[in-house]
Amino acid sequence: MAAEIDIDRALTDLRTGVGARFEACTTEQALRDENAKIQGKKGELTAILDLLGKAPPAERKAIGQRVNGIKQEVVAAFESALSALRKKERQAELDAPPFDLSLPARLPVAEPGHRHPISLVREDVVNVFRQLGFAVFDGPEVDHEVNNFGKLGYPPDHPATDMQDTFWTKVTGDTRALLRSHTSNIQIRAMSTMKPPMAFIAPGTVYRRDDDATHSPMFHQIEAFLVDRNVTLAHLKGVLSEFAERIYGPNTPVRLRPSYFPFVEPGAEVDIGCVFCKQPDGTRKGCNMCKHTGWIEILGCGMIHPVVFENCGIDPKEWSGFALGMGLERIAILKYGIPNIKLLFENDPRFLNQF
Amino acid sequence: MKASYRWLKELVPTLNASPSEVADKLTFAGLEIEGVSEFGAGAEQCIVVAVVAIEPHPTKSGLRLVTVDRGGATQQVVCGAPNVPDPGGLVVLAPLGAYLPAKDLTIAPRAIAGVTSEGMLCSESELGLSDESDGILILPAGTAAPGTKLADAVPGTRDTIYDINVLPNRPDALGHVGIARDVAALYGIPFAWPSTGEVARTSDVATTSLASITVEDPERCPHYGAAGAVDVTIGASPLWLKLRLQALGVRSISNVVDITNFVMLEYGHPMHAFDLDRVRPAGKPAVVVRRARDGEAVKTLDGVERKMIADDLLICDGEGPVAIAGVMGGGDSEISGGTKRVLFECACFDPRSVRRTARRQGMHTESSHRFERGVDVADVARVLDRAVALTTTLAGGAATRGRLHVQGSRAEGEPSPVARKVLRFEGKSVEAVTGVAVPFAESVAVLQRLGCELDNATANACDVHLPTHRHDLGREVDLVDEILRFHGIDKVPAQLPAIRASRDVGGREELIRRAKETCATLGLSEAITFSFTAVKSLEHLWAPPPAVVLENPMSENQAVLRTTLLVGLLDAVKNARRHGERDVRQFTTGPVFLAPSADVLPTERTRLAVALAGDRTGWLEKPKPLDVWDLKGYAEEIVRRLSGFAPAIVAASREDAPRHLHPRGAAFVELGGQRVGSMGPLHPDAVDALDLDGQVFVLEIELDGFAAGAAVPRFTAIPRFPASSRDIALVVKDGISAGEVEATVRAAAGPLAEAVRLFDRFVGGQVPAGHTSLAFRVVYRSTDKTLTDAEVDKAHANVVATASSQFGATLRA
Repeated sequence: MAAEIDIDRALTDLRTGVGARFEACTTEQALRDENAKIQGKKGELTAILDLLGKAPPAERKAIGQRVNGIKQEVVAAFESALSALRKKERQAELDAPPFDLSLPARLPVAEPGHRHPISLVREDVVNVFRQLGFAVFDGPEVDHEVNNFGKLGYPPDHPATDMQDTFWTKVTGDTRALLRSHTSNIQIRAMSTMKPPMAFIAPGTVYRRDDDATHSPMFHQIEAFLVDRNVTLAHLKGVLSEFAERIYGPNTPVRLRPSYFPFVEPGAEVDIGCVFCKQPDGTRKGCNMCKHTGWIEILGCGMIHPVVFENCGIDPKEWSGFALGMGLERIAILKYGIPNIKLLFENDPRFLNQF
Repeated sequence: MKASYRWLKELVPTLNASPSEVADKLTFAGLEIEGVSEFGAGAEQCIVVAVVAIEPHPTKSGLRLVTVDRGGATQQVVCGAPNVPDPGGLVVLAPLGAYLPAKDLTIAPRAIAGVTSEGMLCSESELGLSDESDGILILPAGTAAPGTKLADAVPGTRDTIYDINVLPNRPDALGHVGIARDVAALYGIPFAWPSTGEVARTSDVATTSLASITVEDPERCPHYGAAGAVDVTIGASPLWLKLRLQALGVRSISNVVDITNFVMLEYGHPMHAFDLDRVRPAGKPAVVVRRARDGEAVKTLDGVERKMIADDLLICDGEGPVAIAGVMGGGDSEISGGTKRVLFECACFDPRSVRRTARRQGMHTESSHRFERGVDVADVARVLDRAVALTTTLAGGAATRGRLHVQGSRAEGEPSPVARKVLRFEGKSVEAVTGVAVPFAESVAVLQRLGCELDNATANACDVHLPTHRHDLGREVDLVDEILRFHGIDKVPAQLPAIRASRDVGGREELIRRAKETCATLGLSEAITFSFTAVKSLEHLWAPPPAVVLENPMSENQAVLRTTLLVGLLDAVKNARRHGERDVRQFTTGPVFLAPSADVLPTERTRLAVALAGDRTGWLEKPKPLDVWDLKGYAEEIVRRLSGFAPAIVAASREDAPRHLHPRGAAFVELGGQRVGSMGPLHPDAVDALDLDGQVFVLEIELDGFAAGAAVPRFTAIPRFPASSRDIALVVKDGISAGEVEATVRAAAGPLAEAVRLFDRFVGGQVPAGHTSLAFRVVYRSTDKTLTDAEVDKAHANVVATASSQFGATLRA
């Protein structure tokens, strides 16, 4: 009986006092110390629990339930005091006098920063095309369906769009807007607003619904297109050869393989002589990078389809042209030996510092 | 598309080129061979043997000792297969030393439960002829004399299989006939149509009496062709057919089902076989091609119950759906072991409609793949005849009389002829497009080999009637492409054009390049950050709500386009810190996507963002945490380099401070009174919400205004006369900013003051509480003479007087 009364009194005392005791603490440390005095190994509540053993067995259950109830109240009171304290601290921090931003700035540059590998290859490629007479044409990353597909000759629902699983937006309007799936929207924008001749490149960010070890849903392309009188596939090959030699070094052979893209005809894929197993005599002995073929695929290209010209209001009888497009990630991955495309978008300092 | 070299050779009988030569040739003609594999490579080293005797194994039940005749000699092998045939039966022996690539196994003498076996009787899977097999391979009686090499005895056990990347414009190459046509054209040798074979027996029953066929939507099903066979016996396919299908990765099921798959792989035209006795209503079977009702359910062969919409086309019997047209059949009327009467369907469906349905249902089948791309609308009769002829040969029974072709309101025994498109071809077009002159005769020869018919020919032009299997040919340039494919794209010379140079439109590339170069020079590393983000991440930074919401994001974290660059950059900080990299000094550039103004497209604004976290670098002193003045340094220098002018860093009041910034250090970057950016320590709530584990300083600048390039600096004369400097240390009350004091000093110093520089700031010591000591150096100089001490002192005295009266400042010794 006595034990029960003792426990009862101790519990009541604890319960009435705990709120005030916690609130009196002005730092987190003080609050934690106070909490330890109650709930710690040698704390008051623990001591009460020890008394429980002395209570008559019949009453233990009831007392135990009370003790637990109060334990929960203590925990709640602690949490609320802690959050109030933090809130107060946060407010004090926010209310502290402002920094004097009129004091002179500091600009110590102990070591230069690092450019992203995609930017580095982008600049290389842009420079080569600029030297050949191409200029950059800017355009948006979110564009009308008609610029990304329609005017390029993709019929609606055509299986060619299988190759481009596109992100559509909920932007409302007359036409559906999408995240461009290639930089070819620039070809359409340039040809719809300017008269030939024109020689442009369009470097930029593009988006496709693909996410695995070799695909990122956001990646980068550079497109180049030339429109003038009497442009032929031979000119395209000339520009490709020049590009390959300037980017990958002299005596880099180029070969075309017929392929299909809706907006060119003829269309081709372009391989260059493998840059990894090139021998001093200019031959390639084959390696893992080129799957022992001696060739590496780098881009797609072709003669601009007459339908595309017509869609942009240019007479295909008078003008002709070529277009080529490449993925920058692939070029960077090949150039630097990066094993996984994901590394390019994690921005890990240990990665960036290598370039 | 998997293609068999052996099959191609059957269709191009005079083909002599090796499998690898053909692969190269096809690749450079636009049918890219992505992989080549050897089917049944083990067959070269195995031989046909005849079972002579079978004895039980002395100790182990389940094993048997089989004596086989290997042609002149006998040998005994231990065999565990349950299906060893009776003596006389033909099986396949892998002799000692044979290598079976499918199992990576070289046969060596092996003791099996005490009995040495010097060879192995092989199953199909051990020979690499199928993925799985039940017991050893038993060859039909009379296949070959014992001792014959398996590859010679059963040629179909050996093949080279190509994996061809058939691009969407060439559905004709989704069948061996189409590929063989290209092979024949490439080598200039004849192409041989597959034999329709002899129909072994024809029944008196007319095909038209088998079932009533109604096409309710002729637009989506312009041609429904049917043929039939009765009294068939469903059973296993002969070995050659099984091997042919297995070589191409298709499981053999039964003779009639295998025939439909075989014909599809041959012609590229999917077909379907119905068990007529399971087409309802019983006794009066009906086939109805109609649109689905919204919500109508169809259970497909894969066991999935699918909900259809009114846009979907169904094949139904008299009572309900039996197949999704062009995509997949249902189980109810399929061929089964007891099937006696077969109705073959060979139809043409609208490609776009099949594609929409397949997409909606998330299905991609051999059938939908071909119908989406477009089948040859003129080969229906040929395909049906082929299937029926094969059926009467392989499944017994008799063909029903005639075919039925439902084309719109027309239902006849023969299909109506398909109109062929005509193009005018001019020989000179080849050179105009490709830069290579191909003789006109060569050009037209290529076109003819591809199945074109020519008329109205002159010396250098002609009309070209296009073949029905090449829907991709629509304009003259497509013919040029074909001629180039066959002439050889490698013959195109490389010729650098004289380019009439263009000028940049927009100027963003150069702007961004300068911004990146500036940042890297200043010690910042470049991050490339995703344009997508989560709505929540924007909310954590109190950024404007997204203007672009994706309809089909890949995840919640990529659901919208960013309205601030900071989201991606702070992700980078978080990741770095998770990897234990405390110090991050990164920048990123790119567009933010804001609400559209006039257009429906969002407004894309190019920005630059910087994040600083951790300690200042350096080795001379102990590392100290970065602070707002480091950030200010970057802000000032970046804008100065991009614009040519030093920006003002204007502290934001508590009221108009951007919400994502800490009110103690939030500031705007202003240029000529124009706000171009904001900077400051990140708000502690944002630090917590984004889980950044410590303070991060951020800066975001609008770049578009700098596209014109930096202002050109103007030369000012280098001073000819010496300068004198005076220092002044002022103790001012806290709350008075150094900038204010500096401005006062500068004004008071008058026109002779060339520069005023704060060089020391001190708190504590002898400086009274609530005060700060600020020490300035004032540099005096005149452009036309050397200043005397008296002149300098006089100017400086004014500084002392003004500063102390204005701020109650006291001079510090």
